[in-house]
Amino acid sequence: MPGAVLLAHHGTPGAGRAAQLALETAAERGTALVHLLVVPDFWGGMQGDDWLNNASTRDVFARYLEGMLEREAREQLAAMEADCLARSLAYTPILRYGDPTDCLIEAAARTRPDWVVIGAPRPKGVPGYRSRIDVAKLLRVLGAPLIVAAPHPAAAARA
Amino acid sequence: MVYTTRSPALLVIGLIILLWGWMNQSGNVDGLQGYLHPGAIKAHQSALDKHAADTRAAAEKAKAEGKAAPAAAPVKSSSFDHIKAGQVEFSYFFGGLFAVIGLLVLAVPMKQGSLDYYLSVIPGIAFILSIAFVVRWGLDPMFANWGKAVQDAKILSWNFATIFNLNYVVLGIVIGIVVVNVFKIPAWAANGVRTERFFLKTGVILLGTLYSAAELAQLGALSVVMIGIFVLGSAWLVLIMGKRMDAGYSMTGVLAAGVGVCGVSAAVAAAPVVNARAVEIAYTIGTILIWGVLCMFAFPTIGHLLGMGPVQFGAWAGTGILNSAQVAGAALAFDPNSIQTLKVAEIFNITRVLFLPIIVVWLAAWYVKHVETAQKVDLMQVLVGKFPLFVLGFILMFALSSAGVFAPAGHYQGKYFSSAEVKAEGLLKEKDTKALEAVLPKAKTSAERKALEDLVAQKKLISREQDSTLKEVAKYEGVSKEAKDAISAANRAAWHDSKIIAGYRNWIAWLFSFGLIGLGMQITKSALMQAGGKPLVIGSVVGILKAVGSLIVVLMFVREFV
Repeated sequence: MPGAVLLAHHGTPGAGRAAQLALETAAERGTALVHLLVVPDFWGGMQGDDWLNNASTRDVFARYLEGMLEREAREQLAAMEADCLARSLAYTPILRYGDPTDCLIEAAARTRPDWVVIGAPRPKGVPGYRSRIDVAKLLRVLGAPLIVAAPHPAAAARA
Repeated sequence: MVYTTRSPALLVIGLIILLWGWMNQSGNVDGLQGYLHPGAIKAHQSALDKHAADTRAAAEKAKAEGKAAPAAAPVKSSSFDHIKAGQVEFSYFFGGLFAVIGLLVLAVPMKQGSLDYYLSVIPGIAFILSIAFVVRWGLDPMFANWGKAVQDAKILSWNFATIFNLNYVVLGIVIGIVVVNVFKIPAWAANGVRTERFFLKTGVILLGTLYSAAELAQLGALSVVMIGIFVLGSAWLVLIMGKRMDAGYSMTGVLAAGVGVCGVSAAVAAAPVVNARAVEIAYTIGTILIWGVLCMFAFPTIGHLLGMGPVQFGAWAGTGILNSAQVAGAALAFDPNSIQTLKVAEIFNITRVLFLPIIVVWLAAWYVKHVETAQKVDLMQVLVGKFPLFVLGFILMFALSSAGVFAPAGHYQGKYFSSAEVKAEGLLKEKDTKALEAVLPKAKTSAERKALEDLVAQKKLISREQDSTLKEVAKYEGVSKEAKDAISAANRAAWHDSKIIAGYRNWIAWLFSFGLIGLGMQITKSALMQAGGKPLVIGSVVGILKAVGSLIVVLMFVREFV
């Protein structure tokens, strides 16, 4: 890959700002955009202790949830691809299920980007998934500069 | 896809369990077992000393009479021997099974198919079972000893192990939670850990053998009233609060099911029906889980502090704890040695789950009424699809048990009356019948007189009515201690325990122990952390009202009548 910006995006509001920053950075430098979208692995424990239902109810729920998460992910990927297309940027999507930090480390090792862009943590009291990137862990192994798209839109609105 | 992971873990677990069995059988761990069971080892030692003294006395007597020393009588097995024998039996069976399957997994390359699918769950089962062994055989008695030692040493005036329910149930769940959140479940065990649902349901099905018809009718009626009021009340309250707080119809719907009926199971059942969004499901399940875990630890302690009995506590936990999985945990944590409280709580759980299809249908209708774009739901399909099949198994076991398949009809928890099965050593002695004859003038009715005369003549009880009559006679003023002891001895001789039902009781405790450790392994920190937003506020308000409201109702109106 001639040069790339790796955007880590897992559906949180803060990621919207990160996406914008990644697009601007990639357009400015004329690099490709690699879009990592992580479905957080906490979903694995989301029906864990449902022991009363029969298998068919669990299957219906699992299909419903998987379908919804996949649809949301596809929509986000499609939207980002359209944005890249509009800016004539090469776009590579990566869809992963797992721990966001581990997935980002693995994607960075594989794609060797020039820049890595992530969203800012959500301020306290703002609703959303609790699935954050472990920045300290990331910085220990990341081989590229990290851009954190601060402030979070909610923090900016409060300010 | 091949599911079985080729790992030596199963073989190693099997060998360790076998080793424990052998060490118990050979007496190598008697010191450790004595430390864990101080009461049993003391009684065992006394019995051995007494046997030695008796043997010695018999030998000396024979010598004095110029006879040959008699052969020593065999030592009667003590509770200490029973504890060890039970562990040896379990260890050899499961250790052997796991070792053989572990060798098979290592030696034979698995191919895709049914054998691979079923074998893939065995390592996880062995993993949980090995934790259950450690908890039940080691940690449970150890904490009990420590609690007593701290109290005896007057460091605390109360037994911390009892008050904080540090028994095999709570310890097992805590270890399960620690394993999944700190160490992670090993890949070779992942498939088997999910079988916990199967074992919990099997435990509930077997529980059906322990109810009497009257008990089931009483508890069933009580649970229908309590669950009816609190399920419908809390679901209704969530709908009101959701509307006031503008939480959205799908969020409110899934939360009403979860908070109102049986927690995660209800949320899972209702989510597709009310088109809940992913974030709403995450919030709701996180909220229910966090409440469930808190209640599971808090309820038994509160129950002990308030001096509640099994019926009161079972009714309260069965109604007030949001998540049905934690109801079983709290009931067993409160009363781990007998399963009286679990019996009561599970009736409430079953009633809850029977309410589930009705509530889901209600919420579906409510959602369709309020949301124009909502797709109509086939109500009959929901009712049939959500019906909990394992409840049929519970009813079947109850019916078989009541019909006398496992123990003579009319038994209660495996205890039954049978005059025909009274052994020769159970018959009353001459001194007993003489003491009873002295009671004859005190009989107030002809039935009492006849009951006494029959007992004197037959030297054993003939019928349950006679037993009940004589129990009353024994309470009369002026009845001698010898006569009371004779009536009591006749009662003990005529009542028997069904070995099958006793076996079921043992298995029920193991099944729940296993299931609850597995359940702990499903409670992840990341899922708990999703609790938040409006669902946490609504869930907390309704959860507290439900817990406190049901506690007040139980304390005021529920008595230990079963």
